[in-house]
Amino acid sequence: MAPVPACPEGHESVATDYCDVCGMRMEAPDLGANASAASPPSDSPVQVLAPCPRCGTPGLSRFCESCGLAAESQPAARSVATHQAPPGTSEAPTDDAWTAVISASRAYYETVLAGGDIDENQVPFPNEYPECRIPLTGNKLRIGRRSVSREVTPEIDLTGPPADPAISRLHAVLVAQPDGSWAVIDPGSENGTAVNGAEVAIGEVVPLRAGDVICVGAWTAITIVGG
Amino acid sequence: MSAADFSVEIDQNEFLPAGAREVNAIVTVTSADSVGGKQPAGAAEIIIVDCSGSMAAPITKLIQAREATAAAIHAIRDGVAFAVIAGSNVATPFYPADGSLAVASAATRDAAKGQLRRLRATGGTAIGQWLQLARSLFETRDDGLRHAILLTDGRNEHESADDLTAAIAWCEGVFRCDCRGVGTDWKVDELRQISTALLGTVDIVPDPAGLAADFQAMMQESMAKQVADVALQVWTPQHATIRFVKQVAPTVEDLTARRTQLTPQKGDYPTGAWGPSESRDYHVCIEVQPGSVGGPEMLAARVSLVYTTPDGPHTLGQGNVRAIWTDDEALSTKISRQVAHYTGQAELAQVIQEGLEARSHGDTSAAEDKFGRAVEIANESGNVDAAGLLSKIVDVDPGTGVVRLKAKVADADAMKLDTQSTKTVRVKK
Repeated sequence: MAPVPACPEGHESVATDYCDVCGMRMEAPDLGANASAASPPSDSPVQVLAPCPRCGTPGLSRFCESCGLAAESQPAARSVATHQAPPGTSEAPTDDAWTAVISASRAYYETVLAGGDIDENQVPFPNEYPECRIPLTGNKLRIGRRSVSREVTPEIDLTGPPADPAISRLHAVLVAQPDGSWAVIDPGSENGTAVNGAEVAIGEVVPLRAGDVICVGAWTAITIVGG
Repeated sequence: MSAADFSVEIDQNEFLPAGAREVNAIVTVTSADSVGGKQPAGAAEIIIVDCSGSMAAPITKLIQAREATAAAIHAIRDGVAFAVIAGSNVATPFYPADGSLAVASAATRDAAKGQLRRLRATGGTAIGQWLQLARSLFETRDDGLRHAILLTDGRNEHESADDLTAAIAWCEGVFRCDCRGVGTDWKVDELRQISTALLGTVDIVPDPAGLAADFQAMMQESMAKQVADVALQVWTPQHATIRFVKQVAPTVEDLTARRTQLTPQKGDYPTGAWGPSESRDYHVCIEVQPGSVGGPEMLAARVSLVYTTPDGPHTLGQGNVRAIWTDDEALSTKISRQVAHYTGQAELAQVIQEGLEARSHGDTSAAEDKFGRAVEIANESGNVDAAGLLSKIVDVDPGTGVVRLKAKVADADAMKLDTQSTKTVRVKK
């Protein structure tokens, strides 16, 4: 087993100069003990640690610090990492904090199938969908799929996996209202947006309340909680 | 593109007194003589011209706007996609009229210029609509470098402020936009809201005769851009908080709220597009858990310049912001000259804007107070442009240094000071 570089606090770190977790300057591991420890992190064998407790990505470090690095070997890792909480919200959200809960809705999928726009074999309902919670912060949160060519990553990144192919790159926008509540706007998505089952007109500002469900794509449901 | 295209340098005093939490550093990012390698990203340009009724009063505004648009079109390189939008209370694809983008060549440039005399001034002003049309035109193609020039002469009167805000939000990250106001009947705050979100500039062109040269210069600068959407990526240790991340040169732009979270400890801040031989400074301020005196050095932030391609993110340069706690006051009390300088430049921008705000409410004493501080910083730091613009608003008693508002201030001078308030100078050598 490759030796873990020595952070004074005992954290595991991929970087060898400063600890990935706490930033403390690390002593270089003893070269005599294991020569591979001296090689740069990109060359050393990937050390598989416990999966990230939040996004489930098989970790390079305990805190999934390296999602960006893992993205090169596992395309899923980077997009999953963007599901994590924005800055300043690392604590669990309080009961009344506005939060978007992302899940897959079988009921919505059935209605889309019934509409005949998609084919069950081409766009199957996902077997598994890890529920993801995103606190609503800032002025607006874009909902969509990451665009690699244009390097646009929406704050609510539904790139997956599992990937819902009927979601536009910029599908909808959650906009903070002056009174602290939130509204949703569909700026012109390919396949439309529904709130509580009702189709939203393009450009219409639809106020949201706790319990409202925004459906986009073939089966993605965004439930608003708190507020 | 490779790491050789950019350099990242850190200027800071890494020594902190016992118990101190705040770590400041100036990050200087400089691009090489040539960036982006041999495969330039596709580029698209849209010129948005205000065609509301007021553009015909006086008619010279519309005539000069046509000439400025022609000058900008003239500066578009062969092969770049382009379009002209006519903006009023609705947005109309003017050239090409079918809502596509033309590919620049001698023939299409001439065709577009030939159409311009048919631009008519009629209707109102709904800038959000113009931006939305620009976005949908840009999205008909997959170009990496997207840039718009927006010209208006009036306020956004035919839609709500919320409509404009929502439209700006939809365009964020899709294209860059430089905004120009002609005359003095438009609102600096409205255009600055657009230029800030869309990583562009804002300026006043008081006399329509100045438009053509300005449009041409903007287009030439945009044509020099070679790399789109480079991000400043900031890693911080566990339990650290980012107080702010600001661009501080060539202008002050607060990027703190623009973070795209990658992991709880890592986020990207947009820097927009880069051309060759550009240099920009960023002020990063981090609050960390204090370490012990004589203990190990801490990395307070790792700042990387990152460019994402379909293969994944590429690091173009990296610098370390460090923290070492010491009881040697000679070390810890020294403030980095750069940090001190840019803290002053950011305050200069703020006091100018606060002074203008107070003046517009008729609060003379508050305005003189703010402008007094602004004159002081501008002179000390050698910000000659700001000092010059301030001298059109206030008189300074050469003996006592007391600052008084001038009895008569031209609207254009106050608006010029407002649009240029965020421009900074670098540390005097």
